[in-house]
Amino acid sequence: MEIVYVGVGEYATTQGETGFMKTLALGSCVAVIVLDPDHRCLGLLHVALPDSTINQKRALERPGMFADTGIAKLLESLEAHGYEGGQLTVKLAGGASIMDPNHTFDIGNRNVLAIRKCLWKHKLGSIAEDVGGNISRSVSIDLGGRTVVVSSPGRGEWVL
Amino acid sequence: MNVLECIARRVEEKPLPSRIAFELLHIIEDENHSLKQIIALVENDAALTTEVLKLANTAAYRRGEPASTLSRAMLLMGEMMVVGVAICASSSIIFNCPLNGYDSSADEMFDHSLRSAIAAREVARFARKKINPGLAFTAGLLHDIGKTVISEFLEGRTMELTKACEEGEVADYLQAEKSVLGTDHADVGFMLARQWHLPDTLAFAIRDHHQPASTEEAYRTLVYTIHLADLISMMGGAGTGADSLAYTLDERYEEYLEVGKDDFAILLMKVQEDFVSIKQSFS
Repeated sequence: MEIVYVGVGEYATTQGETGFMKTLALGSCVAVIVLDPDHRCLGLLHVALPDSTINQKRALERPGMFADTGIAKLLESLEAHGYEGGQLTVKLAGGASIMDPNHTFDIGNRNVLAIRKCLWKHKLGSIAEDVGGNISRSVSIDLGGRTVVVSSPGRGEWVL
Repeated sequence: MNVLECIARRVEEKPLPSRIAFELLHIIEDENHSLKQIIALVENDAALTTEVLKLANTAAYRRGEPASTLSRAMLLMGEMMVVGVAICASSSIIFNCPLNGYDSSADEMFDHSLRSAIAAREVARFARKKINPGLAFTAGLLHDIGKTVISEFLEGRTMELTKACEEGEVADYLQAEKSVLGTDHADVGFMLARQWHLPDTLAFAIRDHHQPASTEEAYRTLVYTIHLADLISMMGGAGTGADSLAYTLDERYEEYLEVGKDDFAILLMKVQEDFVSIKQSFS
């Protein structure tokens, strides 16, 4: 069974009907899962930071690293599979944080907010989210059933 | 034998991870040492020499012409960094074991330690009082070493500990460990540091990295550096399993480190990039 791993700042799209697509140990990063039901294509993006303006050179080299450039590239990649705009099923997981009472370094939450904003710009919104908290999550997508499973060490796994 | 006695026995049995790393540390501790002494020791170990040269030629260190000699490599990375390289080169002895008590696989401990080491080296640049980036790297590598001892005593209790954290029964995972074992990975790491005769700077960084305010003033810049580096590593996704992110940021770091919100995002990205190139150099 083929497993495609999506690393930090990477994205992948497929019309495959078998195998798995996974992204591991999200920490404050966020997994953006998109499904185009019309064309049976699916995409996964692993965003690390909210805004590409902190390093535009890096954004050109690895657009998936940032929410703004990553979402744009993910949608472009879906277009190669026939997506022509319109509604997608979107799910989000990750965006966790350390225990940080004054939100000094709340990159996880900023990532989630930036992703939602980018999705709105494309007239999209998520239908399911498992975000925030102080746990590190991994995401596994079963391409056959198009099911998204989230897991975390010491906590088991659950369907998103 | 009770749990604490069993843990103390395990600490006594734990082998020194890298003899050459600790010989280097003792040479460096002597203020009158020379670079020649370091080079003489390193060149006797062909594998370590190769690792040092490989690292000096990664994107993280390379400046201009390739480094082809040890003295050039030392100039690029600093002598303390060689200690870190020696520990990484012997990583299979201490790092590459699954931490079943944390629900963590074999390579996660090394990845977390290496990322923390890289983050520590970067955070050290923000220190208000100068600290050696190579020392910060080595402290980052070793800060969680106690987990390799206590993991076996936490097996079967991981869900109990994560639940205690999530329901607020304990302040953080360190306290959760203490509540079931009577000790925690930081204290057991300190026992290992003493057993291996590590310098006080490293021993206190290991013991106090989750409670940096409790360490002696003289060590606080380094300890806060490791505190922040550990959290950066976990936020970047490289934890050691069940305890990832279940720790609290001590905001008094600002007294010792000038790291702002934007710096933090840049640090996360820099650590990710350097981790990829440095890990390749060690593999």
